[in-house]
Amino acid sequence: MSDEQPTQQQPPDEPPRPRLTRSTSDSVIAGVAGGLGRHLNVDPLAIRIAFVIAVFAGGLGILAYLACLLFIPSDDPNAQQRWGVARIIGAALLVIAALFVLTPDWMEGPWLFLLIIVGLIAYLLIRVAREGGAAGIAARIAIGVVLVALAVGGFVAAAVGSSLGGGIIIGGLVIACGIGLAGGAFRGGARWLIAPALVLALPLAAVAATDLDLRGTWGERTFRPATVADIGDGYEMGVGEMRVDLRDLELPPGRTDIPLQMGMGQIQVVAAPDVCVVTDAALSLGAANTGSGEEGGVDFEVHDRTVPDPGVRYVHLDVDLGVGELRVGDRFRDHDWRWSRNHATVDPGTSRAACEAP
Amino acid sequence: MRPRPDFDPASLVAGVIVIALGALLLLDQADVIELDVAYAVPVVLAAIGGILLACGLAGPARRG
Repeated sequence: MSDEQPTQQQPPDEPPRPRLTRSTSDSVIAGVAGGLGRHLNVDPLAIRIAFVIAVFAGGLGILAYLACLLFIPSDDPNAQQRWGVARIIGAALLVIAALFVLTPDWMEGPWLFLLIIVGLIAYLLIRVAREGGAAGIAARIAIGVVLVALAVGGFVAAAVGSSLGGGIIIGGLVIACGIGLAGGAFRGGARWLIAPALVLALPLAAVAATDLDLRGTWGERTFRPATVADIGDGYEMGVGEMRVDLRDLELPPGRTDIPLQMGMGQIQVVAAPDVCVVTDAALSLGAANTGSGEEGGVDFEVHDRTVPDPGVRYVHLDVDLGVGELRVGDRFRDHDWRWSRNHATVDPGTSRAACEAP
Repeated sequence: MRPRPDFDPASLVAGVIVIALGALLLLDQADVIELDVAYAVPVVLAAIGGILLACGLAGPARRG
């Protein structure tokens, strides 16, 4: 029998939890996720993904990140002074972000759950990729495929968004990427921002160069004006097929202007065989055929040199087409829009004799 | 004078190029200037070329 008193096993001394600071050693933007992960003993990657998901929850992620940036000090003892101006900017951005949160139209409902699932998959893939081996290589390939898909999706989204009038926002995002790149140069580099910058800038440049404007009606529309009053200010569509049937139009003496505007698609105009039609068109990209052969290319204009005789009733088409095809004629190649629901094609060409006085 | 160890000149050059490109596109979208294909294509190609050149000359990034 031993005299020794049974001793209770003491747990090993746990290291004190690190103070909550922004990490300078584990930093992607400002070290918020790295610092939170270190403080909470959680993988910073999971926190980063959570921030990204929360961005789509009414902009909460931006607000939360900016709040952390504002209120959590850096672990760099020299950082306090350096972040003085940044705190003021941060406060201003917080106000802007709060405005976004008050406008809960970004993404809600089932989309958020889908995003959380995507985030979990991304987290697992990145974890496996970090561990290496065959599974790591497979995970890296999967991540590469996802990144390419995201880039393609972002490219398409930026193209559609800028052509729907969001060009100023996308241009601002490009500049923000540039500022992030230039600022990141002094913190070890932020070259990863080059990819999103180009994914946003290239489609915006394409939209800017082609003046593509997809705002307006989408789909198939047939316009059949009977009088000049029906025409109003002309016809405008965003994307699709615009058919303008002028066969029933009662023309007043002289010139009748019909402006036609479309972002992307096909414009077909059919007139009565005894009506003089003069066409002036501007296309950013595509082809036009008004009867004197097909013209196509980039940034080109079609000008009809026909000068109708005085007193002749005639239609002047003023076409502004972003990307697509223009056909103007007085007959159909196959079906007639009036009798068929099929995709009829106008045979280009209108009567020049109709432009001469009888 | 030795460069700072955490300074990445390629990021700086790329950032300036991206800012310039973004500003140009923003001005077009705000209808201050009018970009057409003849201007936009060489501008975009020059931007991409400049970024690639900067990254190539600066070597691999230490981080980011």
